Amino acid sequence: MNKPDFDNYLNDSLASLDKEIEPNKVLWSGVEHAIVNTSSDSENKATWPKLTAMAACIIASVLTFNVLVLNENTNDVIAMNDYFSKQKSTLLVQYKGQDALTDNWQIQLQELEQAAQAINKALENEPHNQALLTMLAQVYQQQLDLINKVHAPRWQHI
Amino acid sequence: MLHTKPEQTPLCDSALIERAKSGDQKAYKALYDLHIKRVYGLCLRLLADETHAEDATQEVFVQVWHKLKQFDERSQFSTWLYSVASNITISYVRKHKNWLNKVISLEQSGMDEQTAEACQGLNGLDKLIVRLPERARMVFVLYAIEGYRHEEIANKLGMAVGSSKSQYHRAKQLLQQWYDYE
Repeated sequence: MNKPDFDNYLNDSLASLDKEIEPNKVLWSGVEHAIVNTSSDSENKATWPKLTAMAACIIASVLTFNVLVLNENTNDVIAMNDYFSKQKSTLLVQYKGQDALTDNWQIQLQELEQAAQAINKALENEPHNQALLTMLAQVYQQQLDLINKVHAPRWQHI
Repeated sequence: MLHTKPEQTPLCDSALIERAKSGDQKAYKALYDLHIKRVYGLCLRLLADETHAEDATQEVFVQVWHKLKQFDERSQFSTWLYSVASNITISYVRKHKNWLNKVISLEQSGMDEQTAEACQGLNGLDKLIVRLPERARMVFVLYAIEGYRHEEIANKLGMAVGSSKSQYHRAKQLLQQWYDYE
């Protein structure tokens, strides 16, 4: 059977598109947790993450500027490793002594670190491989997300 | 080209809004239940990532709780909510993804087919939409699905009206290429 032409396909698809999609997780508990804790105390507690986020934005901007404008020869891998190791250290210091939501988060973090090491090794041979760079960035981001989520589960409930 | 206005669902929840405005969390939960799927659908299409969409959806409902008193009931609650949701999701993208895109040029490439498969629950056109590059995808979703005008999209995304139109045409071209190839 012939395919309908694209314009017909697009119009029909848009007309029948269901705008509603069911999330795979129950998200209310995270929302409830956040809106219940709106006292001034919790606002004070939220100051550090905000400052960290602001610092992260500034570092990311400087890094991007350096990578893209000032020094085109800067190695993407070195820049990314440097940025994430600083971010990770900052978060670990920030949450030091604070109870984590799960017991095995450090094992998960170690596994992600091992994945990052494997990707870094592959990047030694292909330092400009975009797919590897993307994977490395994603693994680093997962590490930061993990540290944040187990210590400050503001939205998602693990 | 089909171009719908932002959805105007009939409001049966003005009493819930009033109660939620005065701090009634049960009433707010009822509002959440009414709109969660629609808000999540918007977030997922804009972000093309389930985890980010879940985070953004939660952020929307937390921020809406705090902004609820600003809702003056001159418009439909759903219209106001989805507009706030799109603005928060766009801010979410800026906060969480922009610098990575700049460093590793994700924007240029869009998402591959395999990654798009990871967005469960999406079918047909949606599976193609989540493969679009970020800007083209956001413009396409806001224009073709959410029914915003290019002037409104340009305002939301901080781009020129002409850029919004060109991103939309880019999105359509890519969708057609993938559709023809399939």
